[in-house]
Amino acid sequence: MLTLVVGGAASGKSRYAEDLVLGTPLPRYYLATMEVWDAECAVRVEKHRQMRAKKQFATVECPLDLDSVQLPARGTVLLEDLGNLAANELYDPRGAGDNAVAAILAGVDRLAKQCTDLVIVTNEVFSGGADYADDTHRYLLALAQLNNAIAARADRVVRVVCGIPVYYKGVEK
Amino acid sequence: MIFITGPLYSGKRTFAAALPGSRLADVQDLAPAAEDLAALADRLCREYDILIATEVGGGVVPMEPEQRAAREAAGRLACLLAARADCVVQMFCGIPTILKGEMPLC
Repeated sequence: MLTLVVGGAASGKSRYAEDLVLGTPLPRYYLATMEVWDAECAVRVEKHRQMRAKKQFATVECPLDLDSVQLPARGTVLLEDLGNLAANELYDPRGAGDNAVAAILAGVDRLAKQCTDLVIVTNEVFSGGADYADDTHRYLLALAQLNNAIAARADRVVRVVCGIPVYYKGVEK
Repeated sequence: MIFITGPLYSGKRTFAAALPGSRLADVQDLAPAAEDLAALADRLCREYDILIATEVGGGVVPMEPEQRAAREAAGRLACLLAARADCVVQMFCGIPTILKGEMPLC
C-alpha cells in the first residue's frame, strides 16, 4: 500500500502520517531526509523526533540517494519528506542534479518493493504565486513532477488541512 | 465554534455573513506573537462563534526566518482551532467544503 500525504506548512501532515503508520505492523522505519545545517533545522528535527518517540520507529538517515536504501526487514516505511529530498538532490553537489526527479522516483519504486506499507509525506508549496526566479522554479517543477507521479502510483492520496485528512484518492482504512 | 479557512479572497467572510453569531477574521495574524498558541485557541474559541483564518502555508518557504516562523505559527493555530471547532469549512472559489461536523445552512 502506497500512501501520499500532502499538506502545507504546519498543516498537521506529519502527525497524520505517523498516525497512519501506527496502524500497521512492526517493524517501522522512519526515513529522515533533512540535512541539518543550522539551528532552525536542528529544532525542527528535534520536534519531529519527540513526536516519534515511543512510536517504535527505527530512524534511517536518507538525505540523498534514496535508491541505495536497503531495509533490514519488511515492514512499514514513513518517508518524510519529498520537499527536502528534492532540494537535496537538486542543490547538494553530491546530488543527482538535473536527474533528481528520475533518481527519486527510482528510489521510491525500489523502496515500495521492500516494504508492506509506504507512507510518503510531501509539501504543498504551489499556492503562493507563479512568478519565481529560475532556481526556485526548477525546484517547484521538480517537486510537482514528483508529487504527481507518486500520486498516480499511490493507492491513497490524502491532503491534510488544519489537521483534517481529506482523501483525493482511496479511502481511510 | 465554526472555523472557516481557505486561501486569500476565497469567499470566507461572504460565506460567514449568512451565519449568526460573533466573529473574528484574520486570526492567523494573532499567531506569530502568541506565547501559547493553545491558550490563544482556547480564548478565541470561548469568545467567538465564528473564526476565520486565511491559509498562508501553501506557498514557497519564505527566505526570512520571521516569515517562516509566522507561517508555522499560523498553521499550528489553525490545527488547534480546527480541533476545537464543531464545524470546519474550507472555502475555495467561493464554494464551501465541510471538512468536519455539519452545517445546516449549506
